[in-house]
Amino acid sequence: MIEPQHHGRRRLPPLAVLAVVLLLAGTALVVVALRSQRHAPQPPASAAVPLGAVTASPARTPDAGTNPPRRSPVSSGPVLARALPLQLVIPAIGVSTDLLQLGLNPDHSVQVPPLSRHSEAGWYKYSPTPGQLGPAVILGHVDSAEYGPAVFFRLGALRPGNTLSITRADHTAAVFRIDRVVSYPKDHFPTLQFYGNTGNAALRLITCGGKFDFTTRNYESNIVAYASLVSSHPA
Amino acid sequence: MKKPLLLLAPAAAIGLAVLAMPGTASAAGNSYQAQLNALNHSSGSGSVMISLNGSQATITEHFSGLAATFGGKPYPHVQHIHIGAQGQCPTTAADKNGDGVISTTEGGPSYGAIGTTLSTSGDTSPAAGTTLTVAPSGASTDYQRSITLDSKTLASLKAGTAVVVVHGLDPATLSKTAQGEKSDLVPSLPLAATSPALCGTLVASQMSSIPGGSASTGGGSTAGLQHAGWIELGAGLILAGAAAGGVGMRRRTATTR
Repeated sequence: MIEPQHHGRRRLPPLAVLAVVLLLAGTALVVVALRSQRHAPQPPASAAVPLGAVTASPARTPDAGTNPPRRSPVSSGPVLARALPLQLVIPAIGVSTDLLQLGLNPDHSVQVPPLSRHSEAGWYKYSPTPGQLGPAVILGHVDSAEYGPAVFFRLGALRPGNTLSITRADHTAAVFRIDRVVSYPKDHFPTLQFYGNTGNAALRLITCGGKFDFTTRNYESNIVAYASLVSSHPA
Repeated sequence: MKKPLLLLAPAAAIGLAVLAMPGTASAAGNSYQAQLNALNHSSGSGSVMISLNGSQATITEHFSGLAATFGGKPYPHVQHIHIGAQGQCPTTAADKNGDGVISTTEGGPSYGAIGTTLSTSGDTSPAAGTTLTVAPSGASTDYQRSITLDSKTLASLKAGTAVVVVHGLDPATLSKTAQGEKSDLVPSLPLAATSPALCGTLVASQMSSIPGGSASTGGGSTAGLQHAGWIELGAGLILAGAAAGGVGMRRRTATTR
């Protein structure tokens, strides 16, 4: 039996239309989903090398055979009085955040800011205030468990020479310059380099990086940006 | 395929819970640090950080590059906080008998007597100073312990005369003479076993309290494949579209007969 021809040249068969719509919609979904993947930038090895012009003092004391001075070493570069930090701005990576104050967890690890949609960075309050002699420490999340990128998502994109500004409670703005940006596996974290004494007013910005361990729900590395105070001005 | 968007991060819960509590770690203490440098031609290095809260000290130490084995077993490196002398590490001028090794005794005028033993467990008094079974062993260590410091060690620490010394040299690095000598501390042991390998003066840290370890600053929602649900849905629509197309093609060929 010959069926009447419902589909001629001017009318597309409904199944074909449906097929095309489904294919287009499906492809669009996959393409959009793939293009909106966001992964935190990781610093290249070259970012760990400081620029020649930066006057940051190394944290390490002199070689074996000499003894470290009993008192604090003579400092280099500008040094400010103690004042609580209130705000951090890093133009190169679009960061502008109020600063929380963070302490210690009962297990003696450093507290981290809450994981919320509007994540803020925090200053570790048992470190010097940014601008004082020594290593001031500021922590921020790279991402949260639910809300995607967080305040320090792009920390790994900082490079030596970038500047940042911290506004303090004494109405001064402390301007720091990035010396180097390094990624460390957490099980080889350089405690003395990070927390150790410095000969200048220094800053460490830290977040997570590297691979994420889905079993322990922790990143395997930390990304650290080391910076030195270069100037200050009224804020 | 992992779905990073779904689960709550323990870190979030911990962070929120701790920030809700009043300060759980006292800021009344202060901190000290020492860089451990090689002595006696040892090839090691290390660092020590001490966070002090009254007389309670949380000690975090790392060293590496020391002699790895002793008599076929992991090499025990006894270690101490020496106190009450110049607060310095000895230089080669301290080698009075000229055997090429600064023994523990020869280093005494520089760093002083044992104030605290940095044992892995149990007694931390000078009495445990040469107890090999509670010394960290092997070429490297990551040592963390909270102990009570006695008043003499505390006073020395605050006066800047406390020195961390890690002992135990590779005998192969010693002169022939020194290889044949007995230890000045424990005569049944060779000189190499108890002579200083690493030394560093404890200086006041610019931090008032040094945390242990690194920071947990991420929950993982930008790790791995994101928007997995969208991709699965999209793939499903593509398959459905292909199926519809396939059915349409078969009907078309059927009706054209």
